[in-house]
Amino acid sequence: MANTIIEMKNITKRFGGVTALNNVDLTINEGEILCLLGENGSGKSTMIKLISGVYSMDEGQAFINGKEYQKITPLASINEGIAVIYQDFSLFPDLTIAENIAIEEIVLDGDKRMDWKKAERIAKDKMGRLGINFPLDQTVARLSAADRQLIAISKVLLENTKLIIMDEPTTALSRKEIEALCETIKDLKNQGVSILFVSHKLNEVRDLAERVVIFRNGEKVYDDKVSAKDFNFEEVGFLMTGKRLDTSKISYSTPKLEETPKLEVEGLTVEGKVNNVSFKMYQHEVLGITGLLGGGQGEVALSLFGAIPFKADAIRIDGKKVKIRNIHDSVEAGFGYVPADRIRVGLFMEHPIYDNIVPIVVDKLVNKLGFLAPRKTKETARHWVKELDVKTPNVELPAQSLSGGNQQRLVLAKWMASQPTILIMDGPTVGVDIGSKAEIHELMRNFAKEGMGIILISDDIPELLQVCNRILVMRDGNVIGEHLSKETTEDVLYNELVASCEEDA
Amino acid sequence: MKLKIFKSYEFLLFLLLIAFAGMIGLFNPAFFSIGTLFDVIRIQTIYILMAFGLLPVLILGGVDISFVAIAAVSTFPIHMWLIGLGYEGGIWLYYILCTAVGILVGLLIGFLLDTFKIRIFDLSLGMNTLLYGFTLFFVGSLTNFDMPAGMVGWNQRWLFTVQSVVGISGLHISFISIFIVGFLLHYFLRYTTLGRGVFAVGSDKSVAIRTGFNLRKVYMTVFPIMGALSAIAGLTYSVLEANFRPYLFLGKNMQVLAACVLGGAAVTGGRGSVLGTFLGTILIGLVNQALVYLGFETQWFDFVVGTIFIIYATFQTATTRSKR
Repeated sequence: MANTIIEMKNITKRFGGVTALNNVDLTINEGEILCLLGENGSGKSTMIKLISGVYSMDEGQAFINGKEYQKITPLASINEGIAVIYQDFSLFPDLTIAENIAIEEIVLDGDKRMDWKKAERIAKDKMGRLGINFPLDQTVARLSAADRQLIAISKVLLENTKLIIMDEPTTALSRKEIEALCETIKDLKNQGVSILFVSHKLNEVRDLAERVVIFRNGEKVYDDKVSAKDFNFEEVGFLMTGKRLDTSKISYSTPKLEETPKLEVEGLTVEGKVNNVSFKMYQHEVLGITGLLGGGQGEVALSLFGAIPFKADAIRIDGKKVKIRNIHDSVEAGFGYVPADRIRVGLFMEHPIYDNIVPIVVDKLVNKLGFLAPRKTKETARHWVKELDVKTPNVELPAQSLSGGNQQRLVLAKWMASQPTILIMDGPTVGVDIGSKAEIHELMRNFAKEGMGIILISDDIPELLQVCNRILVMRDGNVIGEHLSKETTEDVLYNELVASCEEDA
Repeated sequence: MKLKIFKSYEFLLFLLLIAFAGMIGLFNPAFFSIGTLFDVIRIQTIYILMAFGLLPVLILGGVDISFVAIAAVSTFPIHMWLIGLGYEGGIWLYYILCTAVGILVGLLIGFLLDTFKIRIFDLSLGMNTLLYGFTLFFVGSLTNFDMPAGMVGWNQRWLFTVQSVVGISGLHISFISIFIVGFLLHYFLRYTTLGRGVFAVGSDKSVAIRTGFNLRKVYMTVFPIMGALSAIAGLTYSVLEANFRPYLFLGKNMQVLAACVLGGAAVTGGRGSVLGTFLGTILIGLVNQALVYLGFETQWFDFVVGTIFIIYATFQTATTRSKR
């Protein structure tokens, strides 16, 4: 049988009073792809940090390559051939590819002089192992996220690398890029390198995994070989969250086409991004818009929200023509927008939760002198926190004290406070764990039932099929397909997306 | 490989320089002379030295404005002290002592930055005022025209001289310092691991620390370099002008900063080169000289440099945006 590289036995790790890992075993064999699944806070990051020597365990035994370690140090971990690729790739954007790949080794060697010949040699060697060939003197800033990831992988490939740990490596990648990454991972496996792939995106895990380990609340709840065929999303979701999730499709009545549409967009054009796009959305409908990178779906959302300049023949809400020149117009017209990148564009992270809920309705919360009425503000905030089930003991805590899923719900709360008639959501579940994802989906369904129109921009096909009743597929700024989700399947949609990019090649 | 040189920013800057000089030459043929070149170089030597000192700080991702004050604090007090002692010797002692003070101030800045995690710009705002204040209050507020006997005439030590329409122009020996300093700085930035650390920290600080670069060591190298070069520039200028001022270079920091940025250094860090900085400073000097030849009042200089800078920044932002 294959040798084991890592054997962690009865591991317990506590932080203060919190037990992050409770009596957990984990083995990683030579040349296998192991997927580690778990919600945020399930202990998977803690396990990675124990293996890489960032944390030290409280109880248990650790063996690396058959040798017992009382305490794994970062240096010991590197010397045993374990490499970790963090989410940010650890690259220098302004430096060349050669330097990025080689600099760590040069620093570790303690060289005083920068030997560019040596750097190029190291870079060529490492890229060769991955079978990639980038120009050595190009700066990393010019590379796409996927290419950067390849550079990040080649950077950690040392002569003796036996295990590469990838911590949620696909967050910044498009679907096609993810497929390329999967190929790279399989290739590394064939060279005898083991991969520990940490993620909560179930469809990638299905494509890759040979063995799956699932953590929940610091304990191992599943550890077995799997194959793509019998990989059951519902079962895995249950194991991760401990809850049966409602993954049924929403059953809508077919929109009544004779009714006045809730939203009617005619000839929307964004210079160089969107060409003359028209669509309708009916009452009680969740409309999905999908596409690959550069499809223009994000720009459609930003246009309707008034955030980027655009031209349109007409935009009608409930049959009435509206004019959108800026965000203020859009909010007045009844639009709300939930951005994908909640940290960068959605929230004031250091500010209290209540400050994050009221910005859009702030005009309604002032007293006679024009000052903000603090009591009214907090009451409004409490109302929406309760309504959307944001888990926090106190609305006065900063937004950054919330977990990812709760932050996303806080962004929702902000927009719900303005009571929009049409809510545009751009990738609302990116980077959100599966439990929170299901809750957000349920909220969306409830909003639609109550009469709000929802536009969901997403590249997550299963999500679209589950939540939307109509899906538009965009490519290069044009709508290339329209599907009723009950009349289509995942494969049909994937093929339409993938076929469209194969034409390019 | 050969093609790459022609695509580089430095080459573009060089072309711009030639084109600019040619254009001015059309209006006033007298501009096109070795004399003009020597004049520009003599005046710009000081700024090039200061720009070289600022360059590593910019690459590190910081903007410093206190280097002019370091030039003042490392020259004027030393001069007053040596004059008070009745020093009559040559310039070498001045160079040693002034540079030593510059290095000490640089070490102090590096220490403060690393220990208290202050932002470079914030500290330099304070340092700038503090150092000028120190010089003016504790040492003296009047320009001093005394010169040790061993240093009189040093400002007439030409490498070459040429006869031009306005009189005799010469290439002063201080010009050589640009090449020595430029070569050493280029070697440091490009061919030492520590120098690459400066780029690494400017490109992404947390990744640089994770890679194993010693942040303290980087700060404790970069700021003494800046201090030393400011001191050398300050001393050279004072001796050329034959007077020592407590408010030396006051308000000149923006011009040096503009030259560095024009030379391709990014204020956000991670980018910049010695050659680019050299050409950027020469370009600004040329503009200055051209205005004189075209008969403009000297007050126009700041206005024109400001305009060029804004055009450059607009162009730069537009091109980097389209790249990403």
